[in-house]
Amino acid sequence: MAAWDLSVTVEDLGSDAPPVAISVASDLHVGGVILKLVEKTQIKRDWSDHALWWDQKQQWLLRTAWTLEKYGIHADARLVFMPQHKPLKLGLPNGITLRLRASFSCPVFQTVMGICRMLNIRHPEELSLLRPVEEKKKKKDKDLAEEIYDLTEVPLSSVSRPCLYNGMPAHFVDSPQMEAIYKMLSVTQPPPAPEVIAKQYRPASVVDKAHINGRWLDSSRCLMQQGIQENDRLWLRFKYSAFYDIEPKYDVVRLTQLYEQARWAILLEDIDCTEEEMMLFGALQYHISKVAQSEPQMLSTNAAMDDLESALMSLEVKMEGENSSASELLETMTAPELCDYLKIFRPKRLTLKGYKQYWFKFQDTSISYFKSKEESIGEPIQQINLRGCEVAPDVNVASQKFLIRLLIPAPEGMNEVYLRCENEQQYAQWMAACRLASKGKSLADSSFQSEIQSIRSFLAMQKSNSHGNATAGDESINTHSLVSPRYHKKYKPKQLTPRILDAYQNVAQLSLTDAVMRFLQIWQALPDFGLSYVVVRFKGSRKDEVLGIAPNRLIRIDLGVGDVVKTWRYNTMKQWNVNWDIRQMAIEFDGNVNIAFSCVTADCKIVHEFIGGYIFMSTRSREKSDTLNEELFHKLTGGHEAL
Amino acid sequence: MDDIDAMFSDLLGEMDLLTQSLGQETVPPAPLPSTKEEANFSIGFTDLNASLHELEDNDLDALMADLVADLNATEEKLAAEIEGLKVPTPPPSELPLPPPPNDLITPPASSLISPTSPASTSSNVSTPSPSTTSPLPPPQSKKPTKEEIEAQMKADKIKLALEKLKEAKVKKLVVKVLMNDGSSKTLMVDERQNVREVLDNMFEKTHCDCNVDWSLCETNPELQLERTFEDHENLVEPLLAWTRDSENKILFQERGEKHEVFKNPQNFYLWKKDKKTLKDIKDKDKELLIQENFCGTSIIVPDLEGVLYLKEDGKKSWKQRLFQLRASGIYYVPKGKTKSSRDLVCFIQFDNVNVYYGKDFKSKYKAPTDFCFVLKHPQIQKESQYIKYLCCDDAWSMNLWVTGIRIAKYGVSLYENFKTAEKKAAVSAVWTNRSTPSSSNPSTPSPTIKAKSPSQANGHAPKPQPGPVPQDFPPPPPPPPLGEILPPPPPDPILPPPMPPLAAKSALKPAGPQKHLPTNFPPPPLAMDNLPPPPPPPPIDDASEAPPDFLPPPPPAAGFGSLPPPPPSMVNSLPPSPASFGGMGLPPPPPDPVSLPPPPPSQPVFTGAGAPPPPPPPPPPPAAPAAVPRVAVRPAGSLKKVPPAPPKRTTPPLHGGGGGGGGGDFMSELMLAMKKKSSDH
Repeated sequence: MAAWDLSVTVEDLGSDAPPVAISVASDLHVGGVILKLVEKTQIKRDWSDHALWWDQKQQWLLRTAWTLEKYGIHADARLVFMPQHKPLKLGLPNGITLRLRASFSCPVFQTVMGICRMLNIRHPEELSLLRPVEEKKKKKDKDLAEEIYDLTEVPLSSVSRPCLYNGMPAHFVDSPQMEAIYKMLSVTQPPPAPEVIAKQYRPASVVDKAHINGRWLDSSRCLMQQGIQENDRLWLRFKYSAFYDIEPKYDVVRLTQLYEQARWAILLEDIDCTEEEMMLFGALQYHISKVAQSEPQMLSTNAAMDDLESALMSLEVKMEGENSSASELLETMTAPELCDYLKIFRPKRLTLKGYKQYWFKFQDTSISYFKSKEESIGEPIQQINLRGCEVAPDVNVASQKFLIRLLIPAPEGMNEVYLRCENEQQYAQWMAACRLASKGKSLADSSFQSEIQSIRSFLAMQKSNSHGNATAGDESINTHSLVSPRYHKKYKPKQLTPRILDAYQNVAQLSLTDAVMRFLQIWQALPDFGLSYVVVRFKGSRKDEVLGIAPNRLIRIDLGVGDVVKTWRYNTMKQWNVNWDIRQMAIEFDGNVNIAFSCVTADCKIVHEFIGGYIFMSTRSREKSDTLNEELFHKLTGGHEAL
Repeated sequence: MDDIDAMFSDLLGEMDLLTQSLGQETVPPAPLPSTKEEANFSIGFTDLNASLHELEDNDLDALMADLVADLNATEEKLAAEIEGLKVPTPPPSELPLPPPPNDLITPPASSLISPTSPASTSSNVSTPSPSTTSPLPPPQSKKPTKEEIEAQMKADKIKLALEKLKEAKVKKLVVKVLMNDGSSKTLMVDERQNVREVLDNMFEKTHCDCNVDWSLCETNPELQLERTFEDHENLVEPLLAWTRDSENKILFQERGEKHEVFKNPQNFYLWKKDKKTLKDIKDKDKELLIQENFCGTSIIVPDLEGVLYLKEDGKKSWKQRLFQLRASGIYYVPKGKTKSSRDLVCFIQFDNVNVYYGKDFKSKYKAPTDFCFVLKHPQIQKESQYIKYLCCDDAWSMNLWVTGIRIAKYGVSLYENFKTAEKKAAVSAVWTNRSTPSSSNPSTPSPTIKAKSPSQANGHAPKPQPGPVPQDFPPPPPPPPLGEILPPPPPDPILPPPMPPLAAKSALKPAGPQKHLPTNFPPPPLAMDNLPPPPPPPPIDDASEAPPDFLPPPPPAAGFGSLPPPPPSMVNSLPPSPASFGGMGLPPPPPDPVSLPPPPPSQPVFTGAGAPPPPPPPPPPPAAPAAVPRVAVRPAGSLKKVPPAPPKRTTPPLHGGGGGGGGGDFMSELMLAMKKKSSDH
C-alpha cells in the first residue's frame, strides 16, 4: 500500500513547533502511528496518557487497533498528539478553586467520576460540571489574590492506592500541602463577609434561575468535544437533588461540599425560604462554623455515650470508697443549684411597679424566689416550674440590658415573666439554666456548661458588632454573613443577633455532623427544594412557561402568576421522546396525557438528561454496591449522540 | 481484684446500654422490698385513699397484680444479674446473663393473678407477698471464693444504688381508661412508658383485635377538644398537666385517622388531584409516596395551602386567611402580598404546641363549620388567648391539616409508630388465631429513652441519623422500580434492567423472630420444648439490624404492593389477603389454618414463659407468624376468649385528682385497701 505523509502536531514540543510529519500507510493502525511519532520526537517520557485528537472531526482516536482507513483519515487530517488528562480549574461548591488534571477524552460522566475519586466524593453520578457564570467585575486584582489549590501533581494512578482511615485517599497525606487541600475539602469554610455575598450574582426571578441550567455540560461527550481547553474554569456542582446513602463516616468531603452548596443556595436566594427558616439556617451556619473551628477533624463523637461512660466511671470510683453506701451516694449526687439576687417583672399584672428584687433559687427545673437570702430557708413567695416554657433573650450589651423573657404555660394560658440580670456572667448562667429547664433538663445536665459558653460567645458577637466593623476573628461573626442580602437591608446586625440566637438555642447542642445534617434536612424540606428550572414553550402555547424538574416530578409554572399549574409524576410516565431535528420533547403519561415542549433557556439534551438522570437515580438499589451502572446512565440520558 | 473491678464496670456499662437500647425488654426496677418505705411514689392524685376505695374489686386485683409483677420481675432480674456477674468475662456482643435455672421452673408470681383473669380472688393476690420472694441467692454448685463473694456484694451494691437512683425519680400514675362500651380499665402507668406500651397493655386487658387503629385519646370537655396520643409519646407527662378538677378523660378507641397517611398517602400528598384518581391509585404508587416522603434524608410535609378561618385573639369573629403549611410551621399570606416564601408571615411553629380536634365549635364559638382544629400548649387547660382556633370548610381538609401538622411536628416517629403498630397487629393476629389470648405479663413498664425525640429546631421534622436508623420491618423496599414503569428514553429502546425482583427480597423475609436480642429473660418455657424452635434468623442484612423487640416481622401488609405474598407453604391454607388497607380488621376471620395445631393447651404454658414483655413468637408452625395475613386480626370466633364483663360501676373517672402532688406511700395505702377489702368479705 502506498505510503503518504501524515503531519501531527505534538503538543509537548510547544505551540510554535511545526507539526511532525511521519510516513504512514492507510492500513497502519493508530497504535503504530503513535509509535512512529514517539520515535521521531526522540523525547523520553511516559507517553501512556497521550492520544491522538482529530481536530476537524472533533474526535479522539482512542481505538489504537483501528487503522487510519477505518477512521477515514487522510493526509489532510489535522491531528494533535496530546495527553488525555489536562489541568482544569475547578470551582468547588465551597467557592474555592482547585487545579487538577481531568480526563479530556472520556465522556464528562466519567471525567466527573475521576474527579470525585480524586477528591474522595462518593456517588459521582449526582454531580456534574457546568460553565461558570462570567464575572463582569474588574478582575485584575481579584485574580491575583485568589488562592488556587493545586492537585495536578497527583499521579493518575493514585486512585488505585489504598485509602487511609475514614476513606481518605492516600495521596492526601503525601505532603503538608496535600493535607491542607484535604482540610479545605472536608472542613466547612468560615462564613463569607457580607460584602462577598452582596457582590455575588443572585437570581432575581425564576427565569434567572432557569438560565443557570443552560450551562451544564453534556455528560455523554468529552470535554474536548465541548470546547473546553486546558486550564479552563469549570464548576463542579451537585446536579441531581437525590442524595443517596449519605454516610457521614465515609462522606466527609461529600457532606461538606453539599453543605456549602446548600448554604450558598440559601445565601444567594437560589431557593426561597421564610424569615424564620432563614434565621434557623443562620443559626446552624454559626454553629457549624464555630464547631468546625474548634474541632478541625470531622469527628462524630457521641456525647451521650461519653456521658454515660463517665457517669459510670465516677460511680465506680465512688463505690470504691470504703464507707460508701447507696444513701450517701444519693446525697452526693443531688443536683446543683443557682442562687442570686435578680429582678423580676410581670408585664401582665396591671401594676406599674416595675422590677422588684428578690433572692432567686434555681433548682431542678424550677425557679423559687424569696424576700431575701436570709429567708430562703422557708417557703418561697412563689415557685415557677419552667418545664415546657418559652425562653427568649432581650439583651443589649451596650446599654447593659440583660433580660430573660419567660413565657410559662399554665392551665389558664401563658404567663409572662421577665427576669433581669445585672451582668453578662449572671445572665449567661441563668439563661442557660432557663433553657435547659424549658427542655426538662436540670442544672446537673452535662450540657449546662456548654450552653453557658454558647450564650457568652453570642454576647461577644453582639459586642463586636456594636463596635462598628466586625473583625473576622474566631469568636465574632457578623450576623450579616449568615443571612441573604435581603436581610442585610431589613435588619442591622444588632437586630439580627437576638433573632438568630433565638433559633440557635434549639441547635446549640448538635455535633458538627448532626448540625450539617440538620441544615441539609431543613434545606431539603423546603417546598421548592430540588427544582431545576428551564424556560420552555409548550406545544400549542404562545407564551414561555417554566418547567420545573424535580427528583420525582415535573411541574409547569405559569410565568405570569408564578403558580404551579400542573404536576406530572415520573411514576405515571409511559414514555418520552426527543425529536432531535426540531429539538422538541414529547412525554406521554398514564391516562393518555401527552405533553410536548421545546426548550428555550437550555438545550433539550440538558432537559432530556435531567429527566433520564432522575430516573437513573431512582433505580439505584438499596444493596450497597460500589459499582455504578454507567451504561444504564448513558442509555437513559444519552440521546441519539450516545454510543 | 482489678480485673474483677474492670469486669464490673464493663458489665454495668453493658447493662445500662442494654437498658437503654432494649427498652421494651427490660423490666424496670420496682421498689425493692427493703426500700419500699423510701420509694417515692408520686401519684397524680391527692385523695389517694378515696380513689383507692373507689376501685372495683377486679380493678384493685389487676392493679395489685401489676405491682406485684413489677416487684417480682425486678427481683428475678436482679437475681439473674447477680448470677450473671459470676460468669467469666462475657463476649461483649451478648448479655452474658443466663438466668438461674430456678427462674425457668418457677413461673413468675404474676401469672397467678394475671389481669386477664379478673375473677381471681384476693387470696391469690396475697400469696406472692413481696417479702417472700426476695431475691434468692443464686444456686451455687461450688463454694464461691472470697473474691467472688466480695465481687458479688459489690455488684449488689452498685445495682442497688442504680436501681434506687432510677426509682427515686420515677413517677407513676393510676389511670382509668374509658372503653367504647362505657366500661373502663384501670392501670398503672409509669412515666417511662410510652403510649405504645400502654396500648399493648390495654390489648392484653381487653382482647381486642389489636389492629393499628387502636389509640389512646385525651378529651378535654371544658375546651371541647380531643387528641389522639402518638404512640411514641410518654403518657404520664401530658396527664400531669391536667388540673385538679379536670374532667378530662382518656379513651381507648379505634381511630382510623391516626395512621391514615400511611394507608392512603395519596390523599395527603396528592390531595390536589381529583378524587377518582386518588381512589384508583395503585398500591405500588402508594408505596412510592411513602418512600419519597418518609424514607428519604428529610421528611417531606404535605404541600398544603388553603383558606382557613381563624378565630381572632379574644374575639368572637372568625376571619379568613390564606394559610400555608411548611416543615417549619404554619404561615399566612399577609394582605396585598404574594405567596412567595419570603413574604410569608409565621403564624405558629410546632415546638411547643399540640394539635387537637375541636368538637362542636359551631355552637361553642360560633365557628363557620364544625370542622375545627386547635393549636395550644399542652399545659393550657382552660380558655386562653394563647389557644389558636382554626376552622376548615370540610372534614377532608381538616384531616389534611391536622395530619400535615402532625407530620411536621413528629416527623419520622409517626412512620415508626405505624410500623410498630402493624407488627403488633400481625403478631396478635397470629396469636389470636391460634390460641386464647393469654397474658404474657401484666405490666412491663420500661425505660423508654428513645421515646424522647431530641429537641427540634423550629419544628422541623426530626430525622433519624443516617447511621443508626433501625431498619425495621417492613424493610424499606428497594427504590421504586421506575425502570419497569417507565419507558426507555429514545432512541435506545432497551429498558433499564428491572429492579432486583421484589420477590427475591421478600422471599428472604421469613417468619419467625428476628435475631434474638440478648436478654436476661429465660428462654422459651420448658413446656414448649417439644415444639419446634423458631426458625433461625434469616441470613439477610436486616437481621443484623433486628428491631428492638421480639416481634416477628409483620405479615404481608395488604396495602404494600411490594410486600411478598405469603410463603408458598402457607398459601393453600389461608385465604388470600385483600389488597386494601381499609379492610383491616373488618374482613371476617379467616378459617383457622388447617395446618396449625390446636390451640395451646392451657394458659400456664404461656404464663410460665416468664416475663418477657412482648410474647415470643409462637413456635409452631415455624412459618406461621409472617405467613398469616394481617386480615386475620380477629380470632376465629370459636377461639376468641370472651372478654370480661364490663364493670357495672359508673363512678367518675379516677383521675379526677390533681397533678403532681405526692400521694404518700402508695404501696402501703394499697395494701391497706386490700386488707380492708378482704375483711369486708
